[in-house]
Formats: sequence, structure tokens, C-alpha cells
Amino acid sequence: MKILINKAACAGNARCAAVSEELFPLDDDGYIAVTEVDVPPGKEELARRGARACPERIIIIEEDK
Amino acid sequence: MSAAANVSPAVAKPAHVPDSLVYDFDMFRDPAYVADPHERILDLVKNAPPIFWTPRNGGHWMLMSHSANFNASRDTESFSSEFIPRAEMAAMKAKLPPGMPHIPLPVPINVDPPEHSKYRTPLQRVFSPKSILALKDSINALATELVDSVKDRGNCEFMKEIAEPMPVRVFLKMLGLPLDRQDEYREIVSQHLSDPSSDARAMIPKLQRIAASMNDTFIARRDNPQDDIISMLWKIEIDGKPTTIEDMQNYGVLLFIAGLDTVMNGIGHGVRHLARNPELQAQLRANPKMVPEATEELLRRYTFTVPPRMVAKDIVFEGVQMKARERAMLFLPAADLDPKEFANSDRYDLNRENKVHIAFNAGPHRCLGSHLARVELQVIYEVLMARLPTFRLDSQRPPTFHCGHVVGVDSLHLVWDV
Ligand code: HEM
Repeated sequence: MKILINKAACAGNARCAAVSEELFPLDDDGYIAVTEVDVPPGKEELARRGARACPERIIIIEEDK
Repeated sequence: MSAAANVSPAVAKPAHVPDSLVYDFDMFRDPAYVADPHERILDLVKNAPPIFWTPRNGGHWMLMSHSANFNASRDTESFSSEFIPRAEMAAMKAKLPPGMPHIPLPVPINVDPPEHSKYRTPLQRVFSPKSILALKDSINALATELVDSVKDRGNCEFMKEIAEPMPVRVFLKMLGLPLDRQDEYREIVSQHLSDPSSDARAMIPKLQRIAASMNDTFIARRDNPQDDIISMLWKIEIDGKPTTIEDMQNYGVLLFIAGLDTVMNGIGHGVRHLARNPELQAQLRANPKMVPEATEELLRRYTFTVPPRMVAKDIVFEGVQMKARERAMLFLPAADLDPKEFANSDRYDLNRENKVHIAFNAGPHRCLGSHLARVELQVIYEVLMARLPTFRLDSQRPPTFHCGHVVGVDSLHLVWDV
């Protein structure tokens, strides 16, 4: 599973990081620091929850095929 | 005298507004709204069109639905935050005689992209989740002190005794303003709130008063930096240039008007809900780890700010024709109660899966202080749960409210057993 983030549209709500700082690391200004994350096994539900928490709706989960 | 007599006069409907989109609602004085704001908002959500035009307060649009608010907040080319056009502002400044006080401009809230980010980016780090987390212990100590000061009495007027002083003290501390001037700042806040004018020009003298109250500290920190926001702001660059005293006044005014009555009223709505729901208090006392989730659902259920926008050009927005220079309110409280977005939106549901509200708005102007606000809200709820027994509303003195761009609580009398 992959997390895809439209970083340019990040407004710094930091709600994803409130779900998991590990999956959704922030930079010093409080914006998302990454555009793509490979979700480690066992963290899938956390990844989905973090994506859903984004008020800007810019985090997309790519499920494994 | 009937309450309706206080409602502002209606203006004539412009020709391009169809009758079907007119709904009579005074966002400052509607009697049912002022009596119990979120009950009236639920009624509007059910009965008013998703976007409507009201003839009150000079006539303006109200964006009700979640989608309208979400989309308008991003479409800054159609919905501008610049109420005094730049040319007019420049002309006003040019006419000021030398030595007259600067006209503070609350940047970045009243600046559209792309200029917006010039003023916002330098503040971002100061208000990041990491910087704010470092303040949590001192905010906790402050909240504890305030709650303990009323604890043995078995009652308090929560707004005056806790909800108002708490954010004022946090603010003074963060900015490095003298704490012994607390009363003066509280007075300026209540003055600022007592006359909720929607005219940007009428605001100017008030903004100048706020700026003047901070000026000594600005100068003192420039010459002698300390560990506070004012000193940090002297070190940043705006658009590649070092900060000037005018920039400091702009930021000071912004943080003052954006960060004080907002937190105070958010706390007021949340604590009123807790006071009416002893089972929720019991749940949170048993499990304090649920406070952050409870805070999010309180923010959703009682979203309380109504940011204004100026329609920047003739547009058709979600099927509605709007004309340049008309005003539109982002009625965020209705967006967060939209049943299309939140099933059974009137229910406070701690287990609701989707609590992704837009109480802090979304898009480029998303509340810069949201991380600080969340910590202040969470801390006060935690401290109340930890230090007070079950509290309830004083049935003799029901809460009172005011409405406008901030929908707020005027008084909130609480009682508990001692
Ligand atoms: C519960 C408390 C708060 C709520 C509900 C709230 C709500 C909002 C909303 C809805 C906006 C967007 C305004 C717009 O779109 O025109 C905003 C902007 C802003 N808020 Fe807050 N706010 C709160 C607390 C704070 C605090 C504590 C601070 C800082 C000390 C703060 C600073 C700001 C700033 C600087 C902006 C302008 C951001 C920009 O234009 O880029 N707010 N707030």
C-alpha cells in the first residue's frame, strides 16, 4: 500500500500527523514533508485514517493490487 | 419592544437574485439566533437554500452547504479577502499627514494569494505543531490556576472568570507583552467585541488602538530580544526585507483579533455542551485520552466563526449568479452541520467516524493558530475534568450569546457540588 500526497495543496492542518507522526512526517513549518510513503505491513488502517483526517482532501491511498 | 425591532433594515434585492434564493436572516441580530445560536443554525440548515441572499445588514450572500464553503474558500480569485481595494488603501495611506499612526493591515488574513504567502510563511514556524507543543505545560499551569481559583466556591461565571482570561494570558505570554497589563488588554478585547461592525473602514481606529498598546514592547524587543514571538518576528524577513515597525503592528493586530475572542468563545460553546451532558463528562473523566477526539467533535458541532469574502468578479457559483463587490459569508457553522457531509449532523457523537470539520476553514487562509487553539481547548477540558466534579448549568441564569463573524457566548453560569 502507498500513500500519495498532493504536497503543494497542503495547508498545514497537521491532522494526518495527529493520527501518525511516523507515516505523515511534517517539516519545521508544519507542512507535510513527503509526497509518497510506502506503508509498512500492519500500518494500513493507520494510513487510511490519516488520509481521511485531511480537511484539504489531498491524501490518497493506493491499495495494493 | 419586540426583539424583531432590533433587526437591521432590509435593502432592496438586486435584479439578478431570484426570489427563490432570498431568505431573511440577520446574522447579527436574528432573535432566535441570538437566543440559542446553533439551534437556529440547524433550523437554517433544514429550511434555507444551500446558498441564499439576505436583505439584512446591507444585503449579502450566505454560503450554507459544506461544498459551497469548501469550494469558495479555495477559489480566492472569485472570493477575495481584500475588503478595502488595494488602490483605495494606497490612496488613504498617501493622504495621511506625516507622523500620523500607520493604518494596521491584518496580514495575511486580509491579503489574497499569491501575496498572501509572503506574510503567512514567516509565521508558519512560530505556530507549527512543534513550537506550540513546547507551550503546553505552561498553558496547563495557567488553566489549573484559573480553575482552582473558583473550585471551592461551587459556582462561577465561566466566561469572565476562565474562558476570557485564559487565552488573553497565553497570548500576552507568547508575545512577551507585560502580564501586569492584562486588564487593559481584556478591556480592549471587550471593546473590540462590543461593537461588531462589519465595515472595514470603521475598524481602523480600533486597530490603531491595539497597535498603540503594543508599541513600547515592540521597540523594547527590537533593542533587546527575548524568547518570545515579538523578538522572533523582528528576526524574520518579509519578501526578502527585514521587518519594520509597521510590519510588527500589522502582525500584532492580526494575532490580537484572530487569537483572543475565538479561543474564548470556542471554550464557551464546548463547556456549555459539557455542562448539559454529564454522561459525556463521566466518559471523559474515566478516559482523559478521549479529550482530543471530544474536542474535534465539539469544534464540528459548534463551529462558530463566519469569515467574510468579497465577490471579486461576476461569477456563477454552484449555479448561483453573483456580482462583483457583493459580500458573501462563509457560514462555516452551517457547513459543519450539513447532513450531506455529516450523517445525523445535529448529534454530538464521540464515535463519529468523520469528524473532519472546517471550523478552522480550509484552503490558503486555514487558521494559522489552529494548533495553539487546539492545545488551549484540550487543556482546559482536561483540567476541568481533572479538577472539578460534575458541573452543570445554573438553571436560574441560562447562558447568553452574541452573533456575528464570531458566534460567541456572553455569559455561562456554572454550578457544582462542594
Ligand atoms: C478555536 C479557536 C479558533 C478558531 C475557530 C479560528 C478560526 C479561524 C478561521 C475560520 C480562519 C480563516 C479565516 C478566513 O478564511 O478568512 C482563521 C484564520 C486565522 N487564525 Fe484562527 N481561529 C482560532 C484561533 C486562533 C488563534 C489562537 C490564533 C493565533 C494566535 C489564530 C490565528 C489566525 C490567523 C493568523 C489567521 C489568518 C490566516 C491566513 O489568513 O492565512 N486563530 N482562524
